[in-house]
Amino acid sequence: MASQGSSVSTPPVRATDPGAPQGAPARRGGGSLRALRKSQLAFLLWIFAPVIALFVIIRVIPIFVILLFSFTNYSITRAFWRWTGLVNFERLIGDNNFLVALWNSTVYVLVAVPAEVLLGLFFAVLLSRRVRFESFYETLYFLPYIIPMVPAAIIWKWIYAPGSFGLANHYLELLGFGRVGWLTNPKIALLAVIGMHVWKNLGFFVIVFLVGLKNVPNDVKEAASIDGASQWAQVLRVELPLLKPIILFGAVMATIWAWSAFTEVYIMTQGTDVSTGTEIAVLVFRIYQEGFRFYNMGYASAISFVLFVISLLFVLVQFWLFRGWKEEGS
Amino acid sequence: MRQPRYTVLLHVVLMVTSLAMVFPLVWVFLTSFKTSQDIIRATPTLLPETWTLENYASLTQTAPFARFFLNSLIISGVSTLFIIVTCSSAGFVFAKYRFRGKNFFMLLVISTILIPLQTYMIPLYLLTRWLGWINTYQGQIFPLIIMSSGIFFLRQNILTIPDELLDAARIDGASEFGVYRQIILPLTVSPLAAISIVNWVYTWSMFIWPLVVANSEDMFTMELGLMYFQRQFITLYGGIMAACVVTLLPVLVVFLMFRTRIIDGIAYTGMKT
Repeated sequence: MASQGSSVSTPPVRATDPGAPQGAPARRGGGSLRALRKSQLAFLLWIFAPVIALFVIIRVIPIFVILLFSFTNYSITRAFWRWTGLVNFERLIGDNNFLVALWNSTVYVLVAVPAEVLLGLFFAVLLSRRVRFESFYETLYFLPYIIPMVPAAIIWKWIYAPGSFGLANHYLELLGFGRVGWLTNPKIALLAVIGMHVWKNLGFFVIVFLVGLKNVPNDVKEAASIDGASQWAQVLRVELPLLKPIILFGAVMATIWAWSAFTEVYIMTQGTDVSTGTEIAVLVFRIYQEGFRFYNMGYASAISFVLFVISLLFVLVQFWLFRGWKEEGS
Repeated sequence: MRQPRYTVLLHVVLMVTSLAMVFPLVWVFLTSFKTSQDIIRATPTLLPETWTLENYASLTQTAPFARFFLNSLIISGVSTLFIIVTCSSAGFVFAKYRFRGKNFFMLLVISTILIPLQTYMIPLYLLTRWLGWINTYQGQIFPLIIMSSGIFFLRQNILTIPDELLDAARIDGASEFGVYRQIILPLTVSPLAAISIVNWVYTWSMFIWPLVVANSEDMFTMELGLMYFQRQFITLYGGIMAACVVTLLPVLVVFLMFRTRIIDGIAYTGMKT
């Protein structure tokens, strides 16, 4: 971020001017609402309060409602609903569909996160070596990330199409291998979808890590190279340790996205009436199915709650990462 | 890395992998110009034998794609207008005001950045239903008018604006609305542009919320229309490819136009609200 006042010249009139009665309340300590000027109160009331109210309604209250509903049998198809205590959670433990979805989502995270972080780091390190045409490569890596998921998933469903019709099998056969049932073989289908997910998101990690690597101070790099460190030693011992917070940030993002994956799984494995593929259920698919197909809102809330707790754990990691945000402020 | 051999190797690796990354997109683009006989050939070729626009021309006859396109434009456009106002005003207050409870709300905003919509879409759906907004534009837009990461991003940017500048305007008799309009907005044009573009791309690509809320064809977005289209016309390969291209082309064009802004914005906000 730009340093203070670098682009904006300081005006001649200063807030410490004795003629200004309530000149700079923004910088005073303490701070009850009374310390604010009348016009600031008006701004808070008419602009900020509605925005925050919307934020609370859209982003905060629903999370508490999830918690509440997960102890009920709420459904929009029933006129009456009641507290059912822990029944939903007891059902979760014995629900094979849920357990399979939880397992699939776990595999999703365990495969996608390391793949995205490691591949992202690999390409970011290569690109940070002051290569020519850097922005050209950067753009190509980034393209899959920016395009919408629905067309991307449809394209990959085609690449994975069965027989020799799909491109993946076509090229496998050209190379002399046998055909693979990418989306029809239950053992491979999940991994095939995860592969698509990694392809789609990789560009984000390349960019984020590349920005981080470029922010490694040059004198650090120079000191290392004067000490005679080889390129690889410099990357491993000097640059990557400095990049640790950003790698962690990337890993948190990758984890959240992998837990909440839905669109690609839905389109590639159950999006057709004449299903060509094996059904793969992940957590969000179970939420969608229970909540919006079977209208078991209460039960779907319990699954959401599980997903929320998992996300929350990673948000806590994120808080730990951003723990310095207050100091850089005012 | 100064040795030419390394440089060549480096470029070979980068070239091969980056082209592999975009290959599926190139392939779908070229396929959309193929004739139907050309597409189902046993040995697929990259380039069309005869170039044809037939796949695109027949799109609007098989499904109301013009309507889907318009719906997507309306939803992502309105959402982005809201985002500009909500992020800049909330960012302004969080950066420059001092009052009790401010930090609590800031923490609340930060903590929601990473919680995905998928976890709380059931209560949101019930709220939409209660408002009578199922299958309407309002229903599709309202969860998209707040962007937690955008508020945080704007706050960080507004922090770098010197207080003296604001105070000078206040002394000249400007109200807070004046300060917001005449100083904050003009000085945050570039971060606002970044989050607007990011938000526009995000809302254009949205799938699960329209899937849940829109249930008649006239309310479908491009993404939703495309999903049902490929499900119904399962063998209309050329048409599906053309529809894919039409869906991703606007994003692609916007991306190539604002490449650096988007990359910066996404590197700092993480895209998914």
